[in-house]
Amino acid sequence: MSRLGQEAILAGLARRLDEQGSWSGETHIQKSTYLMHELLGVPFDFDFILYKHGPFSFELRDELGSMQADRLLERQPQPPPYGPRFLVTARGRELEQRLTQTMSRYGPALDWIARRIGKRGVVELERLATALWVTRQQPDAGVSARVQGLTDIKPHVSGEDAMSAIEEIDRLLVEADEVAAAA
Amino acid sequence: MAQRTHEVRDPLHVFVRYDEDEKRVIESEPFQRLRYVHQLALSFLVYPGATHRRFEHSLGVTELAGRIYDVVTRDDGKMSSTARALTPKPGDREHAYWRATLRMAALCHDMGHLPFSHAAEERLLPNGWDHERITWQIVHHPLMGAVWSSMRPKPEPDDVGKLALGPRKVEKLKLGLSFEPWEAILAEIIVGDVFGADRIDYLLRDSLHTGVAYGRFDHHRLIDTLRILPRPPQERGESANEEDNEGELTLGCERGGLESAEALLLARYFMFAQVYYHPTRLIYDKHLVDFLTAWLPEGRFSTEIDGHLQHSDNDVMTAIIASAADADAPGHDPARRIVRREHFRVVYQRRPEDTGGATKGIARAAAKEFGEELVRYGASPRRGEPPDFPVRDRDGRSVSSLSSSDVLGKLPASRDEYVFVDEPERKKAKQWIEKEREGILEALTATEDEQEEVNP
Repeated sequence: MSRLGQEAILAGLARRLDEQGSWSGETHIQKSTYLMHELLGVPFDFDFILYKHGPFSFELRDELGSMQADRLLERQPQPPPYGPRFLVTARGRELEQRLTQTMSRYGPALDWIARRIGKRGVVELERLATALWVTRQQPDAGVSARVQGLTDIKPHVSGEDAMSAIEEIDRLLVEADEVAAAA
Repeated sequence: MAQRTHEVRDPLHVFVRYDEDEKRVIESEPFQRLRYVHQLALSFLVYPGATHRRFEHSLGVTELAGRIYDVVTRDDGKMSSTARALTPKPGDREHAYWRATLRMAALCHDMGHLPFSHAAEERLLPNGWDHERITWQIVHHPLMGAVWSSMRPKPEPDDVGKLALGPRKVEKLKLGLSFEPWEAILAEIIVGDVFGADRIDYLLRDSLHTGVAYGRFDHHRLIDTLRILPRPPQERGESANEEDNEGELTLGCERGGLESAEALLLARYFMFAQVYYHPTRLIYDKHLVDFLTAWLPEGRFSTEIDGHLQHSDNDVMTAIIASAADADAPGHDPARRIVRREHFRVVYQRRPEDTGGATKGIARAAAKEFGEELVRYGASPRRGEPPDFPVRDRDGRSVSSLSSSDVLGKLPASRDEYVFVDEPERKKAKQWIEKEREGILEALTATEDEQEEVNP
């Protein structure tokens, strides 16, 4: 995907997350992008690594910085102790409007991810994205093996929460196939 | 038995001390080669004092990494329970292993640099190769294997390599390795975006040698206030209790160190524009790459470690001077531009209203008008957004640095971009760009949209 197209999709994502009432911080953008890439096959040009808070892309972090420099996104500091939020600017909206075909192609994926992810808390998002990471690493493993895999990576996650995250990922995989097929 | 300690004088840290094991690394061929690789490439042609080398920088990073490790692993009584559980205790074997491995990684972190450091990396190595990948190969090479094997405990090359490169590069190089939380914190001590010893040393050292005072900040205060802290809550409604946040830890600072951290990030901002991506340095890099492309066999540096170790700034500079004097020598034209200061001049600098790609588009259009050989485009990398790190507030809470600092959120993230033209064409090119700029940018936007819609 071209850089311009990628930026338009990220601007569209930040806008939709905000419209859904999401906090829309970096964790939301990172995990939503990872889930869109893995679940819906949106061809982002980012590599993800398993890092402190689950799957994470330094390339995506750089891209968000670049989009701020180009005034497509703004990072809005929040009162202590909270982290900042990402908001799309008027210039970012213009970019979305300019790339009509791209945005109509990926619009359903963006709508779906914003609905499914927008209102989740960051701890829940990290669990969910890590559950997908484990599922991708062990595609043939059953639920209990993947629950074990998740708690091995994140020992602070309880077995119950890990089970819930793995089961939800299995449901989202089925749902995402339907979204991708309809697009 | 305690190892003998050696010491060497350093203009920044007064003394750098190292033990027998570290001396073996310092005396190894890959480390000694760093005596002949300038820290700032051809910047000495802009700042005459900038003749310092990667050798002393690597010693400085090792000194600082050790200091930071000692500060953050010391329990000051305020260490959180999750940090205490993660951090080896001073006196333990594990504490000693990771301290030694961290310092080894700091020594090794620049071993893969090509002659003139970053200047030539992008175009003169095969796809997928950069100096970090060569560093990884050197750390795993039999040459260093012999050094590691002589140590007790023997550092694992993978541990040394991971800490030397950090997760960002491990991701980029697709090494398929993940970072345990403790390893991620150790890598932050060397290559972290905010508090990395690499960054602290190069800003201060480069500032000292160039005479550009903007790079100075109070690193003593900063290091003394560094702590391993729980991630602050990211959003309203999220608990500030670290147990609820699943114990994610990262490097942060006490509230009393926030101003020092702000000063570091401001220093980085100023040094980027004033030194690292000074336009004259950028164009010298272009002439250097043009020379190396003509001079090197097949226009590329070797990725074989033996070949890599044979090249340093010394043999390249000798070749540049020889080529500048011989009109028939390969790379004569760019060599002449470097030696006689006949470098291209700036005719356009990115304007605040320019979108990404605009300056490059103007450079392409100018190259069509004036000839490919007479026009170059040069740019700093994207600066990236100011990092968000935890700050332990005076009430003990871990809070976001961006919510605590009025300065950090306002640091500009834009990149510097330039179009350069050969001196005799400068006036004409400037006038031409001024006249054609609007039309070039309009055509560029239309083409980008079209390409995007056809090939998303």
